[in-house]
Amino acid sequence: MKLYTTIFFMLCLFISAVSWISFRSPKTHPIQFVVPKGWPQPVYDFKNNPVTEEGFQLGRKLFYDGRLSKDGNFACASCHQQFAAFATYDHNLSHGYNNSFTKRNAPPLFNLAWQREFMWDGGINHLDLQPLAPITDTNEMAESIDNVLKKIKADTAYKRMFTAAFGDATINTQRMTKALSQFLVMMVSSNSKYDRVKRSEDSFNLPQRLGYEIFQKKCVSCHTEPMFTDYSYRNAGLPVDDFLHDYGRMKITHNAADSLKFKVPSLRNAQQTFPYGHDGRFYSLMDVFNFYRKDIVQAPATDSLLRHGMPLSNFEIGQLTAFIYTLTDSSFLNDKRFAPPGYESRMPVPVKDIHKN
Amino acid sequence: MQAINDTSVQECDATGDAIKRYSRTHKKIFLLFIIICFTVIANAQYNITLTFKNTVGEKQLNTDSSYTNQSGETFTVRNFRYYISNITFTDSVDNRLQSYSDEYFLIDEKEEASKQVSLSTSLKHITGIEFLLGVDSIKNVSGVQAGSLDPARGMFWTWNSGYVMAKLEGNSPVANTPMHAFSYHIGGYKTNENAARKIRLSTFVITAALENISITADILKWFAGMHTIKIADIAFCHEPGKPAMQFADNYANMFSIEVVK
Repeated sequence: MKLYTTIFFMLCLFISAVSWISFRSPKTHPIQFVVPKGWPQPVYDFKNNPVTEEGFQLGRKLFYDGRLSKDGNFACASCHQQFAAFATYDHNLSHGYNNSFTKRNAPPLFNLAWQREFMWDGGINHLDLQPLAPITDTNEMAESIDNVLKKIKADTAYKRMFTAAFGDATINTQRMTKALSQFLVMMVSSNSKYDRVKRSEDSFNLPQRLGYEIFQKKCVSCHTEPMFTDYSYRNAGLPVDDFLHDYGRMKITHNAADSLKFKVPSLRNAQQTFPYGHDGRFYSLMDVFNFYRKDIVQAPATDSLLRHGMPLSNFEIGQLTAFIYTLTDSSFLNDKRFAPPGYESRMPVPVKDIHKN
Repeated sequence: MQAINDTSVQECDATGDAIKRYSRTHKKIFLLFIIICFTVIANAQYNITLTFKNTVGEKQLNTDSSYTNQSGETFTVRNFRYYISNITFTDSVDNRLQSYSDEYFLIDEKEEASKQVSLSTSLKHITGIEFLLGVDSIKNVSGVQAGSLDPARGMFWTWNSGYVMAKLEGNSPVANTPMHAFSYHIGGYKTNENAARKIRLSTFVITAALENISITADILKWFAGMHTIKIADIAFCHEPGKPAMQFADNYANMFSIEVVK
């Protein structure tokens, strides 16, 4: 009888142990992706890569990790700085491995969940694929995917974080890029003054309002609201740079009609993302406006909307600038969720106000 | 009395019903058993192994040897890899098909194990094999894949998203390049630039007893066939486009079934 009791007891123990293991499903905390009011539905497939707190934090760590580059110096964040709306502040071409320049101006990163193709020429067709290009390009991070994975696998913190995000400790290209995407899709910039005005929470002053009216007449057909780009590729009449020889979209499509076409950049946060253009040739908005009113090159592939140039008076340029500054989203530029991991704990403790109490 | 009688009649009926039901259930179970038996027999699984053999003409590919193509150019091969996907077996005797739609194999000359592709099939008389040399367009636009399609395998373009369907690299004295190297990374999935090719091999019947199919890939076919390609003219092909399409038209004919045993 004692034997049976023991067997029964052991059996119970075994069953509970097994159920404890099998029911201990990975506890991830889903993050709701909120589509701002009045915006279109995002194109990113969230079903294939649902965003969780664990995946987001893993992506954040990867984004700020220099080990993704060959010499450890170039994290994604070195060319995509938060205070510059994740572009490179004050640099036309960013700096890469071994004192090299990149070939193009680092685009700002926000509202990527709505973007179907990436890079100035649209060569990359999925957000998950995007990080592989800068990681492997010899003048950017100059590393091989295999080596990056090797370095990451050697780090126990990553083992823990991959397990938390994906259920087991497998580390591969797919999971690494999915985690990066989870971080990147959450970068939504939708709280500029413009947005607040649209939500009737704020109002434009006179120059901003006049600038908005000029914008709607002269700029909106390419810089479509609410993204301030229609994501098309256009030849804006820029002369080709005789060192870079960058013909843009044509490199991807091999179609002469796509000569010198580059993706229309969003004007959101334009105040922070200077210099402008695919090669950063314009150091200020004034340079851009001057180009449009004086220097457009009329070639066969030049956009039909610029066939007759783009007249802009000094007055209009002033008002347009005032409007474009309303697209600056300070809450996005300062959002701690997108700051380096551990940023909050490294902040200095506020000094006590001696005048109080 | 009447009432009791009625009850007994009912009871009798009930018992009869029960017997009938019982035997019916048994019949059903028996039938089910028979069906299961037939299904098992019909769906008996065989393991078919496709063995890929890379050759240059009649000769076995050897990375130390020198070969000559149809234009009289000598060359050596350093690296030869290609994707095989969307394999379908046909059984024209039983008029059935079996597809392996989500299995992608990277055949690599340097990796012996990669040249053996094992598939489980229920077909009894395989009369033909179809497969795609390359990766279908859906996988080219679906983000980062794992396994043999992992971009870390070095068969993926990161600057212009897409898989390299096949890679052939080596040296030739006629190659007008540093170290006389030639390098063909053939890829592209878009309309008019699609370098994947549907391959149909169907000149035999194999039965369950014949479970090893040997498929030969002849590198010489890359240089001649629909287009004559000289290494002296094209030593590099590293993007989708016209030269890649010409190579693809040629390599579409590189496969043949050599031995069935």
